[in-house]
Amino acid sequence: MDQLLQALVSGLLLGGFYAVMVLGFSVIWGVMGVINLAHGEFLMIGAYLAWGMFRLFGLDPFASLVLILPLMFLVGYLLQIVLINRVVERPHLMTLLVTFGVSIALANLFKILFESDPRNVAVSYNGSVELAGITFPIVKTIIFVAALLIMLCLHLFLQRSRLGKSIRAAAQNKNAARIVGVDINRVYAITAGICIAVTAAAGAMLSPTQAIFPFMGPPFTLKAVTITALGGLGRIPGALMGGIILGIAEIFVATYVPGIGTNLGVATSFVLLVLILVVRPQGLLGGLRPLDAEAE
Amino acid sequence: MQKLLLRLPYLLIATLVVAACSLAPPAPVDEPNTAAAADTEKIIYLGAAVSETGKFSREGKDTRQGYGVWLDWVNNEYGGIKVGDERYKVELIMYDDEGDPDTAARLVEKLINEDRVDFLLGPYSSFLTQSASAIAEKYDKIMIEGNGAAEPLFERGFQNLFAVLTPAVNYTRSALQLLSAQGARTVVIAYEDTAFPTSVADGAQRWAEEYGLEVLGIETYPVNVADVSGIMSKFKELEPDIFIGGGHFNDAVLFIRAAKELDFNPKAMVITVGPSNPKLIEEVGADSEYVIGPTQWEASMSYADEYFGTAAEYAARYENLWGEPPTYQAAESTATALALHIAIEQAASIDTDAVRTSLRNLDVVTFYGPINFDEKGRNAAKPMGAIQIQNGEILVVAPTNAAVSELNYPAPAWKDR
Amino acid sequence: MGAQGEQTETKIEGKEENGASSAEPAREPHRSRLRQRLTRPFGSWTGLTLWLLLLLLLAAYPYTGVSSLALLVGSQIFVLVTLASNWNLIGGLTGYVDFGHAVFFGIGAYVMGILVTRTPLLISPEWGFWQALPVSGVAAAIFALLIGLPTLRLKGPYFSIAMLGTFMAMREIARVLRPITGGGIGLNLPPILNRLGDYYLMLAVMGLVVALIWWIRRSEFGQSLIAIREDEVGAEMRGINTTLHKIVAFMIAAFFTGIVGGFWAWQNTFIDPDVVFIETRTVEMVMMSMLGGLGTVWGPPLGAVVIYFLQDLVWANLFGVHLLALGLLLVVMVLFLPEGILGTLGDRSSTSLGRLLGRVGKGS
Repeated sequence: MDQLLQALVSGLLLGGFYAVMVLGFSVIWGVMGVINLAHGEFLMIGAYLAWGMFRLFGLDPFASLVLILPLMFLVGYLLQIVLINRVVERPHLMTLLVTFGVSIALANLFKILFESDPRNVAVSYNGSVELAGITFPIVKTIIFVAALLIMLCLHLFLQRSRLGKSIRAAAQNKNAARIVGVDINRVYAITAGICIAVTAAAGAMLSPTQAIFPFMGPPFTLKAVTITALGGLGRIPGALMGGIILGIAEIFVATYVPGIGTNLGVATSFVLLVLILVVRPQGLLGGLRPLDAEAE
Repeated sequence: MQKLLLRLPYLLIATLVVAACSLAPPAPVDEPNTAAAADTEKIIYLGAAVSETGKFSREGKDTRQGYGVWLDWVNNEYGGIKVGDERYKVELIMYDDEGDPDTAARLVEKLINEDRVDFLLGPYSSFLTQSASAIAEKYDKIMIEGNGAAEPLFERGFQNLFAVLTPAVNYTRSALQLLSAQGARTVVIAYEDTAFPTSVADGAQRWAEEYGLEVLGIETYPVNVADVSGIMSKFKELEPDIFIGGGHFNDAVLFIRAAKELDFNPKAMVITVGPSNPKLIEEVGADSEYVIGPTQWEASMSYADEYFGTAAEYAARYENLWGEPPTYQAAESTATALALHIAIEQAASIDTDAVRTSLRNLDVVTFYGPINFDEKGRNAAKPMGAIQIQNGEILVVAPTNAAVSELNYPAPAWKDR
Repeated sequence: MGAQGEQTETKIEGKEENGASSAEPAREPHRSRLRQRLTRPFGSWTGLTLWLLLLLLLAAYPYTGVSSLALLVGSQIFVLVTLASNWNLIGGLTGYVDFGHAVFFGIGAYVMGILVTRTPLLISPEWGFWQALPVSGVAAAIFALLIGLPTLRLKGPYFSIAMLGTFMAMREIARVLRPITGGGIGLNLPPILNRLGDYYLMLAVMGLVVALIWWIRRSEFGQSLIAIREDEVGAEMRGINTTLHKIVAFMIAAFFTGIVGGFWAWQNTFIDPDVVFIETRTVEMVMMSMLGGLGTVWGPPLGAVVIYFLQDLVWANLFGVHLLALGLLLVVMVLFLPEGILGTLGDRSSTSLGRLLGRVGKGS
């Protein structure tokens, strides 16, 4: 029973992180139909930024979010204007290749800058609290709460604010939005800015829990694809649900399958991905656009 | 039809250009200076394909610098390898294999058949050594290496592959022996499912049995794992005395973080890769205290030889030349070249068969430790060291003749630190 | 007049197709011109004739007394050309961008590894290779059938991602099935290296694959594949059995990729999950096809040769930054050269070299 509850808690905490990790990916896909294969690299950049600020100024990774969010918003905004807006109307292969090229370039740029030595942020409060026989890792619990907060903010922004409404309008019908006077390129750039900032924030929060190295990105990109397929495109409640399903699935397989559990947990997410795409391509929550109404 | 005939020459030229290009051998990374010295002095040519770029660039650099220390010393200080009455200078041809097995195969082929090297030194990593050594075996060239410890390398019955480092199966031996003597009774093992960590884990099981330790659980995990809390919470239930784990440096960080987060308190954490690297203390901080790790070599060990002096003197020489202290990857690379050097001198010949026999019979102690190859080409004579992180320092605790500090056992629970 | 001409033509057409849905009516004249070219008696044979000539030259090459290194380099290039052409069949011609095509390479390699090391049925290691090689291809093709039936129903990026997921899943599965695959320890194959034999084997496979693509490209079957790429619903309405066509193309591409995988395992003498199920292999295939010209017969082989030499001559000298350069090159390529070398040269031949190659490409 204890083990079951513990696995459930660990899965939930992991799932919360997955949810905030996937947000940026899912919204970019949903709004502009771009599958951002460099997603994991922006996570990596966020982690390195948090590490750098911790090393240079002793800044706590959660406090450094105040600096990382605007900085990475700018990066995302510029990237969209300089690069992605040029290919966003082209066949999906082109956007896949461009973002893939960006992913290789960024990972290797960071390798040249920092070598491949792994880094880590050693915060002082990385222990655990025991509650009713269940161990709560402090850092992961904070990440979970922060993830919920970020998701709530983004949700409110998209639903309530004027800008959020034009983003949703652009996602639903680009041409109609253009006719009523929405500057699509600007909306796309702001969307990319927000998404990349959130992704980098997820990376920064991850920095105390795992090793940071230039090639850490691709597995996260693939998990993001799985979770998006689970939860639906651009939907924040979907991202949360997809993240938690994957988190719990991974931890349960790892806990209850002896010997090769962790291996199987990783395989699970990929098998799950293929299964979902094949059986229910519109995603579990029905958020993926119908296949025939592609941008092309 | 006439138009077709008119255009045929163009097409032929184009295809021929492609054909000619496609078969030209690739340009070497650094051209050997073969013409310069050939007539005046005798030269032994050595070749190696070592990563300069790609995923092993960091370790490849250590390997290159390790070979470089020996090369610099043998040519400029020692005056060349003694073969009978003659002195041979050494020329080392090194290429960048980019961490890619296809490139490595091409470069080894080039070293053997175009550069006509006399002997090969190994690349970095077990998996590149796998494909490179197969080519060396085919052309009957000796390959001596210091950076591939995985067991399958030595299961192929190769006659020409020699490795100076302690085989992977012995990695945890000293640590387990010591811990068992201190009263540990149970052990759990987690390892990355790749060749080298698997060999280490297989060995750990064997030695645990040998020293009367009960193995309570074994878990594997994949490369680039992001979360090991599943493994750690399972192990927490088992309450073992010893935790053995690891594969990559990042895993060391993950295991220490996950153990603390889940309040998993083994009395000793033995982590295969990472603890002997000062970067772990730098990055993980005080949580790395009490962590035990195997080490191939440390500058504080008490080994010495007539060539480089003590391990500490070797370290000073290395730092003098490259401006950074040697890692054990660097030291084992120097030892690799040194073993070949000693074998050539003992054979008094550079003939492959004579040197192979001499390597077979080699039994020396170097700054790196004893070298004595078994029938499979492994250096079974060399015991693995064990270090423990104590007060932010990496201190050797085993084997006893090389130890500089006592083992701290058991480690206190995370709450009591 | 040459076969290249048609590809250039369709390529341009293909771009318009994919780019925007606006050019719907303007496509028809294009298509009829294309059909004319296809039915022209001599023109399309030029490419094949030249290809056979080139193969003959390459077959004679070892008799000029070259080193075993040159043979190894040759066989490595043939491998890349074969892989690029295979990927092009499904990714370029049929328009199903396979982001996990290396899975067939991995399956081929593992079938070879398992058969050679774990079955007592084989007569001797050398014979074992020849017995196992076709099995590698067949196994990959069967896997393509099984995985293709569900995934080829997916469109656009969903297919790409499903294949990427399949690829990642198979790597983990190869790791977990330790009793059969050796797990992370991998498998050691008998180290029997025969550079001359390898050279001729891969030359033959490459010759066959490229000729096959050439044939497919001008056959009824190939036209149906292109029709699927251009407008799958329309193709279906015209009475083309799209599922059957896609599956067959996928299986052919998988078969030869599996053969190459089996060969590679033998030549490298060692396989483990991370060496054979490696993303860069798919990336290479995509990049080579892209660079040469998607959907063309001669583009991917050209792209493969160019990339191989870029890698060796240029990037090897950009110490440490060559992967950074590779990433940037990919971005630049998509932005400025989206139709590949052949497509671009055929399109705007402004330089004299461009004119020459463009004319060569266009034929008449």
